[in-house]
Amino acid sequence: MSDNGNGAGCGCDKTRLTFADVVPGATTARAGKKAGNPYLPEVGTVIEIIPETPTIKTFRVRFDDPEVQKNFTFAPGQVGQLGIFGVGEATFAITSRPSEKEFIQFSVMRAGEVTRALHNLSVGDKVGVRAPMGRGFPVEEWKGKNILYVMGGIGSAALKATIEYTLEHRSDYEKITILYGATHPTNFTYWYDVEEWRKRDDLELVLTIDRECEGWQCDVGLVPHVLERMAPSPENTIAITCGPPIMIKFALIAFEKLGFTPEQTYTTLEKRMKCGIGICGRCNVGPKYVCVDGPVFSLAELKELPDEL
Amino acid sequence: MAAKFLKQEDLPAFLAHLAKSARVIAPVKTDGLVQFEPWTPEKQVELEVLLAKQSPKEWVFPQTEKYLEFKYGKVMPEGSGEAVADASENAAESVPQPTVEVEVRNEAPAQVIFGLRPCDARGFTQMDQVFGGYGGFYFDPFYNARRAATTLLVVACVEPRSTCFCTAVGGCPAGREGADAIFIPVEGGFVVETLTEKGESTAAFSGLTEASEAQKAQAADMEAQAIGKVGAPFTLEGLRDHLHDNIDDPRWRDLCMRCISCGTCTYVCPSCYCFSINDELVESTGERYRVWDNCFNPIYTEETSGHNPRAEKFKRFRNRFSHKFWYYPDKYDSLLCSGCGRCIMDCPTRIDIREVLRVMGTAPETAFSQASRPTEAKAAAPTQAEGKEA
Repeated sequence: MSDNGNGAGCGCDKTRLTFADVVPGATTARAGKKAGNPYLPEVGTVIEIIPETPTIKTFRVRFDDPEVQKNFTFAPGQVGQLGIFGVGEATFAITSRPSEKEFIQFSVMRAGEVTRALHNLSVGDKVGVRAPMGRGFPVEEWKGKNILYVMGGIGSAALKATIEYTLEHRSDYEKITILYGATHPTNFTYWYDVEEWRKRDDLELVLTIDRECEGWQCDVGLVPHVLERMAPSPENTIAITCGPPIMIKFALIAFEKLGFTPEQTYTTLEKRMKCGIGICGRCNVGPKYVCVDGPVFSLAELKELPDEL
Repeated sequence: MAAKFLKQEDLPAFLAHLAKSARVIAPVKTDGLVQFEPWTPEKQVELEVLLAKQSPKEWVFPQTEKYLEFKYGKVMPEGSGEAVADASENAAESVPQPTVEVEVRNEAPAQVIFGLRPCDARGFTQMDQVFGGYGGFYFDPFYNARRAATTLLVVACVEPRSTCFCTAVGGCPAGREGADAIFIPVEGGFVVETLTEKGESTAAFSGLTEASEAQKAQAADMEAQAIGKVGAPFTLEGLRDHLHDNIDDPRWRDLCMRCISCGTCTYVCPSCYCFSINDELVESTGERYRVWDNCFNPIYTEETSGHNPRAEKFKRFRNRFSHKFWYYPDKYDSLLCSGCGRCIMDCPTRIDIREVLRVMGTAPETAFSQASRPTEAKAAAPTQAEGKEA
């Protein structure tokens, strides 16, 4: 049984496993979980809650087991299951810096049962975390390239860790551009980071809101339209987009118009998930499981899948 | 391998022998149905009726399975030391801090499943791939604990039903795959072949005698005859590629028309394994459990926003068949179907997987003329749909 990191499911060794080979305990211990049980969440404590927008809060969670906290690592773009015992779990992008050792961070939009319960948490409350899961962005492969982030609304959460990673390893990448849109100025998450990004001269930041608003001094227009106006060159550039499905759809069309190939274009998918470990069968899109084969996919990979996004 | 012989009248004694060291699960008649249930001496094992209503999968992968228990509490900060103090700057020193204790439940009593059929046993080997962490995936500790504690004593089929199609999917009415021992019915009893160490030790029963050459010959004969009795209603050749290449095939819309998304096929299937996870909480204690799910249910994939990747029925229908004959084979090199035919028997709208696969395994333009088309009016529909596609 191979244990070679994330998304190793397809195309790896095809030797058939017989039941006799499956020895209890011979687990792929990847998700920072005790005793190799991928269903058992690590208990953590909410140490800080940052209100981002009227519907989004960011939760900083510290694992109760200091060893687990110390050894926790993840790749930018990976996700985790954050849950409350007695309510349930849901999948969220990990939004802390990959180098962060003190806590793990998730940004949660209030929408359903679990997210509503999460929004009701206070500092000191207990949560369960199963992380990291899935396959992150191939940031290593992107070294020496221009990176273009195109994101809208809560989609910024999925790209947050990756942006931080590329900024922390700034010299590994050429030009970095962030196009970030929201419906209204109050709906930008991580505004405190945006303020920091604006000060940097090694980063091009374009902010846009959907409709005119008093006092707004940056762009106005839907993200895909602004993207077309910006007309970034596809030359040696990786384009990464995340946002509401409708924004992603038109951003991908815009990328294609601008001459980006499907191999140059990446997005990260969100699907309803339960187990998060490629077993329960819920998040499949054709033969791919978003929880283990994704959530990051290149457009080239997505084009191979059935129209069930 | 040396074959043994078990006399028909010794079967209860044999089961009683098994029951000394393990829970025995066997097909018995209850409420007019044949179901796999814990065997007790007063229950008669039902081997005449071919196929229990449900496969024995629930004894390894229970329909509802509690796996976590938790208990909330509160402690004063002194008890938990400085971790609490820096957890919150605002928390007053004397405010009790929440705690939660989490415990895993994983019970796997030793059990012997007797009287399952080769297709049922293959269902387990197919699920083993998924839960067993094959190909670098995760290892499921709950399924595997029970699977490891389970011995499968398979009884070969002599008279396959009209709905059986095990041979079409690479199985056999006397298939050994997954079996720890196989019992082949012959005159007056069973020829018993042990196939694994587990089967060897489990079937070590003093009432077994050496099988005679005549009995062995009869068993071989039974096997050959039974194979001939299973129909070959479709071919696997090219099926995966047809499913893959014609993903937007409009015939999916037509084939699924009768489906009412009830999911019966998924529950009776020996290899369907999709599940959901839910929590319950009463006051301060609760549990997390997993429960069989049904990919035909529209809310299976429905997201909080209301967006549903498989809102249309044909997509869910396509997903189940593609999963069994394309997605799963691509990952695990085998099929996710053992040809038991339960989904055919129990479908309330008589959808026949063999027909679906026969149609989908042929090129789009030729299939419909041969497919079972009840009325002329309906037959026109796919032509229009295909026209649009082109």
